[in-house]
Amino acid sequence: MLSFRCLCILALQATPTPILPGPIPHESELTANARIEPGQAFGFFTDTTLCIGCKACEVACKEWNRLPADGFELTGQSYDNTGALSSTTWRHVAFVEQISTDGGERATTMQPFQSNWLMMSDVCKHCERAGCLDACPTGALFKTEFQTVVVQQDICNGCGYCVPACPFGVIELEVLADGRAHKCTLCYDRMKGGFEPACAKACPTNSIQFGNLTDLQERAARRVLDLQRQGVASAYLYGAPNPSPEPALRVPKPGVPDLSGRLPGDAPGSTGGIGDLHAFFLLTDRPEVYNLPTAPTLPASRVGPGLRRGLATLAGLAAAAALTFIIGGRD
Amino acid sequence: MYNRASADPDGKPWSERKRYLWWDADKQTWTGPDKPDFSPDTPPDKTPDWTKAPLYGMDAHDGKSPFMMSADGKAWLFVPSGLKDGPLPTHYEPVESPVKNPMYAQQDSPVAKKWERDDNLYHPVGDPRYPYIMTTYRLTEHHSGGIPTRMVATTAELQPEGFAEIPPELAREKGISTLDWVTISTARGVIETKALVTERLRPFEIDGRRIYQIGMPWHFGWKGYATGDIANVLSAVVGDPNTTIHEGKAFTCDLRKGRLSPTTAPGNERS
Repeated sequence: MLSFRCLCILALQATPTPILPGPIPHESELTANARIEPGQAFGFFTDTTLCIGCKACEVACKEWNRLPADGFELTGQSYDNTGALSSTTWRHVAFVEQISTDGGERATTMQPFQSNWLMMSDVCKHCERAGCLDACPTGALFKTEFQTVVVQQDICNGCGYCVPACPFGVIELEVLADGRAHKCTLCYDRMKGGFEPACAKACPTNSIQFGNLTDLQERAARRVLDLQRQGVASAYLYGAPNPSPEPALRVPKPGVPDLSGRLPGDAPGSTGGIGDLHAFFLLTDRPEVYNLPTAPTLPASRVGPGLRRGLATLAGLAAAAALTFIIGGRD
Repeated sequence: MYNRASADPDGKPWSERKRYLWWDADKQTWTGPDKPDFSPDTPPDKTPDWTKAPLYGMDAHDGKSPFMMSADGKAWLFVPSGLKDGPLPTHYEPVESPVKNPMYAQQDSPVAKKWERDDNLYHPVGDPRYPYIMTTYRLTEHHSGGIPTRMVATTAELQPEGFAEIPPELAREKGISTLDWVTISTARGVIETKALVTERLRPFEIDGRRIYQIGMPWHFGWKGYATGDIANVLSAVVGDPNTTIHEGKAFTCDLRKGRLSPTTAPGNERS
């Protein structure tokens, strides 16, 4: 008679090889149609016309990144009880109710593809030239091999210079636990393993799309033209080159069809030397409506003029003092 | 449309862009991202073999019929049997309504299941004590009965408290602002909750009268991180004739600014 232990061993031996012996190599190819390889730029294209406000991105982000819940208070701001991006909230779905027209009259029609209840999942923009990166004195912030911007908490000393340096108000110091700066990493750890970021994978409507930045920009430009053709004249890209509505201007380059007809960086959100945003958005109203700056600038771009102005003031005051001494000094 | 209905009678997708399931004539099988809910080798031109009658279940369906749950595989607009309120759809007012049925003398469904008792009173049509329409709905942030998500911190924080959505016109009339406490009552019960004034709720103009609608999400309660009073305290137990699902989408109620007082709800008071 077989002992219980023998039975267990036999049972184990009889177990067939698992179908999934471990993570699927290059899983992102299956889920996002993008192979993650170092040396290329990756990012998010967030199409607000597809957002249904389910907040699955917020939850997926918090679950993967082990971020704590940070408030159980009803804000009264439509269905947005998250409020803003913070050190513990790296995706934030904004809800904008636009039922009234400007005259205070209620709208009786709705835009195609989007009710007058706008929703947008906001995130770190992973700027081409990042203000936070410029400001970081310790090198804790760095550009990864995927052209994303990541904080290394073991190097960050919590000085907080990056916080006002971000033109979008994304990065924040965590005050309760470690005092260091935290923000979206574009799931650097997942990308290292060939997985698409958690928020994009969780998004049920593909409002958040992850991929190679060039691919995403091309896809986004196509989507804008599609929407415009279908009557959403207000659709445009924030942080990526906008397609020209004039087909003659959309001259295909060899290899990659260039739908933009405009220079890179020539878009709301990628102004002031910031360059293309690696997390960019398709919007249907002015950026301020979504709480995004229309023409953000890098604080570093104000250092030179500020310094020059300071030095000029100093020189002027010195000259004035000298003059006073020469003219009025003898009595 | 999904499954067999996503393809035309010949088995070709109605839309190439949204194709979901189609007939592969070479392999003599249905293929696509969806799994057929019928035998995958059923050709679109299949006709039931009535020489082998009686046929049961899907053996009696032809290859063009997408609705495997009905006897003939077709969707029905005229339903001669099976429905207690068939054979054709029509309009009845909800059991509780501020207005008379504009289409028929018959106010509400004659076959609705009713249990009118002292603890489940129904409001008469146009009852001035309960002038507002109440509708209830689920929130995306709540899974199932709300318990699985209200007990988990990262989902509870997305909708952390119960609320009632109120149109701005009604809110102005009652002096209610967003986040004020409001008390809502019916003949069945009374609850208190926070106000969320929103233009998403529009006043109705019915029969020359302006009628307001209030909305309240289901699935709050007093356990877990996200708490709030329960909409079902207000609703009436009225059953749909076919499924006995209770009529929680439309009933009437009253609204006032302020919190519950111990006298209006004995044992229900909170600080």
